[in-house]
Amino acid sequence: MATASPNILVVDDDRETRSLIAKYLRGNGCNVTVAIDGREMVRAMADHRVDLLILDVMLPGEDGLSLCRKVRAESQVPIIMLTARGEDVDRILGLEMGADDYLAKPFNPRELLARINAVLRRHAAAQTATAINGATALTFLGWRIDFRLRELRNPAGARVAMTSAEFDLLRTFCERPGRVLSRDSLLDLTQGRNAGSFERSIDVLVSRIRRKIESDPQDATMIKTVRSGGYMFTPAVDPVAVPAGGRS
Amino acid sequence: MKLLGFLNLRGISGQIAALVLASIVAIHLILTTTFLINRPDQPDPSIDRGHNQLLAVAQLLGTSPAADRPQLFADIAKTFPQLEIEALPPDFVPAGDADNPELHSLRRRLGNNYRTFPLPKGEDTNKVGIALPDGAMISAKLLRPRPFWQGQWVLTLLFAVVSVTLLGLWAARALTAPLSSFAKAAEDFSLNGAAAPLPERGPEEIRSVAKALNRMRERITTLIDDRTKMLAAISHDLRTPITRMRLRAEFIEDDAHRSRMLRDLEQMRSMLEAVLSFLRNDRKLESMTLVDIATSLQLITDQFADMGHKVAYDGPEHAMATVRPDDLHRSVTNLVENAVRYGAEATIRLRVSPDTATIEVEDDGPGISDARKEVMLEPFVRGDDARNMDEASGFGLGLSIARTIVLAHHGAMSLNDRQPHGLIVRIQLPVRQPNRQAAA
Repeated sequence: MATASPNILVVDDDRETRSLIAKYLRGNGCNVTVAIDGREMVRAMADHRVDLLILDVMLPGEDGLSLCRKVRAESQVPIIMLTARGEDVDRILGLEMGADDYLAKPFNPRELLARINAVLRRHAAAQTATAINGATALTFLGWRIDFRLRELRNPAGARVAMTSAEFDLLRTFCERPGRVLSRDSLLDLTQGRNAGSFERSIDVLVSRIRRKIESDPQDATMIKTVRSGGYMFTPAVDPVAVPAGGRS
Repeated sequence: MKLLGFLNLRGISGQIAALVLASIVAIHLILTTTFLINRPDQPDPSIDRGHNQLLAVAQLLGTSPAADRPQLFADIAKTFPQLEIEALPPDFVPAGDADNPELHSLRRRLGNNYRTFPLPKGEDTNKVGIALPDGAMISAKLLRPRPFWQGQWVLTLLFAVVSVTLLGLWAARALTAPLSSFAKAAEDFSLNGAAAPLPERGPEEIRSVAKALNRMRERITTLIDDRTKMLAAISHDLRTPITRMRLRAEFIEDDAHRSRMLRDLEQMRSMLEAVLSFLRNDRKLESMTLVDIATSLQLITDQFADMGHKVAYDGPEHAMATVRPDDLHRSVTNLVENAVRYGAEATIRLRVSPDTATIEVEDDGPGISDARKEVMLEPFVRGDDARNMDEASGFGLGLSIARTIVLAHHGAMSLNDRQPHGLIVRIQLPVRQPNRQAAA
């Protein structure tokens, strides 16, 4: 865990789902507060410190997307959106409203936990802000990684298919160029140790990423293996200025 | 009212009746006018005048002294060249007396001192010979009426008939043109609502058919919208209990029990996704973008390998194509799901030519008989119903969704046999999409 025990606010109008999420997260070392709708959410956020917000899109009264935008206008608290509509449009809209991540119902609770950990860690890293950490997209050697759309494009502009675990790992590399990262720290930075065994090992993920971005995966030049240490991302990384609302 | 329906000019029968009537009236008018102008029943005045000239000239020559004649011939040739008056040699022997009515009437009008006779065969048949009172003979051209088919009025009539017929054909076509556009509209009807409604114009019957077709189209669209909304609502409502169960399953102590429950829930989730994606296929298309499809196929291979299936990728490391990435992913995933369900091993192949990308998903299962191949592409049809009953692994939408996606990419999908057994599903996609609007 990035924080000893993060305070998480769960906003969902379904009583059972709400309390089950709360129960599950409490069982995994989080402090959880719950809210039924926007008004309760505002009250809860005024009452105590909230480290992360889990927000359902379908809410009575004001919906999750507009709540997300309002919260984002005032604070940098990380937000994970939940929705019953698993369509792309919602995903992109949610991320544009300022959400940090997105999960479609029905979701795997372990994945929720993994995403919470990943978002909290990224948020913690962003506190010691560098230009790279604040950016929503980065480039290296003509490649472009977009965190909002969660997509990677090669120098020719073609989208490269990646799983979310591969993407998170590449993102971690891109945010820490030129640093040696051990397998343990990569695991911490991406999945969290208690995320469970359903994720692939770091080595497998690295070899899959290499296959997609290296010109010769056998002789990797971007993600270098450091003997007895781990991996290092060698290219120079630059933030990309994304025009407001600009997406293809 | 019904009986007089044909009088209604807005109806198709009324318009056709009016058209026929108008054509008949037009032909009659032209016919009458031509007839009045040309009067084919009257002798051609120009012919009559020609005869009179010939008579006058012959009489002039007959009464003049023989010495003046050469001078006269020259003058006549100058004044009436169409008569072609010539002197016949004095030793010319007339072939015989006039025996046709034309020559008779000519002779009667010339007077008793004159004789007329035909010229021998071989000469111009229009020429006649005339013997003057003093025995000298001349030949002259007889102006005959032109045969009737060369008459001006016949040409005019012919022209009138042809043009009225053409006009009639054109008008009839204009009347019925909307009908043929209906067939095309019905063929083109698709559920994405992109086609424009039929124009409601033309005769009353056609307008009402167009209106009815448009209303039917609206109803079908509404029906499908309702179906989509209903299924989406059901899926949405089902997600809430599945989410709860998914969470609740995490609290089950018994590992075996929990993993079985998770598997069931995962199956329910994927079935819901399949229905939603099937409903989504016709509409709300993802936008086309340049994609490294080799990495998409590697990703699918990895995902299935992670789930413990034997899936291999065979193809280049990188290959660019313009596709809808999530749709393509779903399409190939559906095929690989089928492949690992029926076979022990599956292979995803990619071959790229400058304008076509060929993706093959191959399995070593029992394959599909030729008779079943076409049926398998229909929605809600499963490979082997009996074997699948206890598995209940899907709705049978996999292949159908895959094909719909491929067709939306202007590609083609075919089912082929693998030797010695198994199935190869071949997808061919254009590497470049023609243009955006064609994709819609």
